[in-house]
Amino acid sequence: MRKTHRIGAAVAIAASATLALASCGFGGGGGNGGDDASGTTLDLLVPSYSDNTQGLWEDVIAGFEEENPDITVNLEVQSWDNLESVIATKIQGGEAPDIYNGGPFAGFAADGLLYDVEEVTSPETFSDFQESFIANEQLEGTTYALPFIASARALFVNNALLEQAGVAAPPTDWDELLDAATKVSALGGGVAGYGMPLGSEEAQAEAAVWLWGGGGTFGDESEITIDDPSNLPGAEQIKKMIDAGATQADPGSTDRSPLMDIFIQGKIGMQVGLPPTVGQIEENNPELDYSIVPIPTQDGSPMTVGVADQLMAFQNDGDKQEAITAFFDYFYSADVYVPWVQAEGFLPVTKSGAEQLAGEEALKPFLDVLPDAKFYPSTNAKWSAADAAFKSLFGQLQTKPAQDVLTEIQAQVDAG
Amino acid sequence: MSRSRPGGAEPRTGRPRQGWRDTVAALPWIGPALILIFGVVLFPAVVMFVNSTRDISISGVDKGSVGLDNYVEVFSFPYFWPIFVRTIVWVVVVVAATVVISLGLAQILNKAFPGRRIVRLAVIIPWAASVVMTTMVVYYGLEPYFGIINTFLVDVGLVDTPEGYGWTRNPDTAFAWSIVVAVFVSLPFTTYTILAGLQTVPGEVLEAAKMDGAGPARTYFGVVLPQLRSALAVAVLINIINVFNSLPILKVMTGSIPGYDADTIMTLIFKYIQNQHKVDVASALSVVAFVIVIVIVAVYVRVVKPMKEI
Repeated sequence: MRKTHRIGAAVAIAASATLALASCGFGGGGGNGGDDASGTTLDLLVPSYSDNTQGLWEDVIAGFEEENPDITVNLEVQSWDNLESVIATKIQGGEAPDIYNGGPFAGFAADGLLYDVEEVTSPETFSDFQESFIANEQLEGTTYALPFIASARALFVNNALLEQAGVAAPPTDWDELLDAATKVSALGGGVAGYGMPLGSEEAQAEAAVWLWGGGGTFGDESEITIDDPSNLPGAEQIKKMIDAGATQADPGSTDRSPLMDIFIQGKIGMQVGLPPTVGQIEENNPELDYSIVPIPTQDGSPMTVGVADQLMAFQNDGDKQEAITAFFDYFYSADVYVPWVQAEGFLPVTKSGAEQLAGEEALKPFLDVLPDAKFYPSTNAKWSAADAAFKSLFGQLQTKPAQDVLTEIQAQVDAG
Repeated sequence: MSRSRPGGAEPRTGRPRQGWRDTVAALPWIGPALILIFGVVLFPAVVMFVNSTRDISISGVDKGSVGLDNYVEVFSFPYFWPIFVRTIVWVVVVVAATVVISLGLAQILNKAFPGRRIVRLAVIIPWAASVVMTTMVVYYGLEPYFGIINTFLVDVGLVDTPEGYGWTRNPDTAFAWSIVVAVFVSLPFTTYTILAGLQTVPGEVLEAAKMDGAGPARTYFGVVLPQLRSALAVAVLINIINVFNSLPILKVMTGSIPGYDADTIMTLIFKYIQNQHKVDVASALSVVAFVIVIVIVAVYVRVVKPMKEI
């Protein structure tokens, strides 16, 4: 009995300690804003693009706070995997960040949570963006987000493997790609011809590469069309590649980043990559003999999958509008913005930024394909659902008929 | 409880006011526990029930009540029943394998042998390590191209593709390996619970069995096992709940597989939240999962009658 009492006491102490801690936690969170008489606090929620991201933002914030001593910026960096759950949880708890760097914004816009970004930037800053990118951020005439960084994709080719397999030049259309990849795969020894990542990490990107390359589309701001006859050739071609053994094993559940590592190790003939891939190769296997060429399409016409991530501003308290404007104006000034973009290996979305980077050798193959970039229909509120459906379902192409997979994705989008 | 107070007055039956006063007097002691139960267990559970009947937008805004629509969505999902069956398979296989292996391990650890202390400590290790870490180690080992398990299997000639086999890339093999990992991490707790049970078996009973001429097998099944009944009951019940609610192992091992061919209810809840941002449907499915666990436990208690005294 004595013992029971002691355990009881221990439990009680543990319980009160837990509650005390919990209440501290709530207290800290509740002090949102912390507006003392002199200053404003901006909460900034951003994803991590690389190990440098946090440091880069800290530098930006330090510079900004120096110029604007009455504004404090709280930085929160999350992984891409968690970002969307974190923002949803924060919004549900009434603690939305003031500035958020993320992907699709249409859901937030539909819920009336966002500022029209023209209200939170100066006219000079706003007019510096490339028009095509701004157009991509508009929903019924209102601009809800600022383009942040851009990226385009291109085919990375392992020259040595192609030469070994007797392929003279990098492929430009699907037939050549299939032929070249099959030949490289036939080299054996664990070498794969084409690296095809259809796993959950970024299935929508590989899907876009093929479906759009065959003349397909994911839809526009009013309609998502995955189950569309124009998407079928691309999906069928993916199956053809898999069935011919031209890809690595189990493409349906292979994620992009780990597969890119295998390419960097020199065991994959060709794979679609991004500008940061150049830096990764530089760092991990500088010996690799590779070239970057446009993505092969059905008829050989140029096409690339463009991605622009966004910065958006949430309407929390009306009085932060000026502080947000100051932050955006500071961030997008070429001297701050260009080093950021360059350090992360992306492409700039401002005109002044593009001018500064025009001479960059490593970015040239990507800047060249940028005019032919097609974008995800991210202004459509249903795009988030489509994105999720691609991630969780598209890899089934490996085992299921192409039409069934497209139908299933469409069904999940329509239900979402 | 109040009646068995040590050193207390003799029980006064038929005087409810006294009992009430006792309860109030006990409040400072049970209060923190009650607050904890209400704050950390019941309050979130109620929020979950409420959420399951609301329409919550992708970005987390509550748009009002929808009655039971979320439950309809859960049950009309075409993969729900296969996932349900897989969940039952997952629980039954993992718990059964864990208990059988643990019975053997506990028996070994109950015998005196040199170095027993070290072996006993070794058995605790999977318990002490983080489940995600243990799973990641196995996951990377199974990766094609560089995984150590795959390389080993290629080297001994069991896998004939030079880059190895995609164990975690195919639903069936990934699920099977998940079961292996789940059994591995469940062993320490189960073994120690059974070991504790074994140490309550009185030596004279075993001696009596020996005197009566029972062989080792007969002694074990006729004498030892029945006495382990209550230890086994605890081990099985806690394992059922734990294994049913286990997310990390399957999340790591089957996370990159497209479709729903390796999912259990827990990973489906996770996918609703993480991929589709349907907090409302996920809440409804959580409520369903809660009911399923209760039913499984009720069936177990009903059929096996683990609490019955021998």
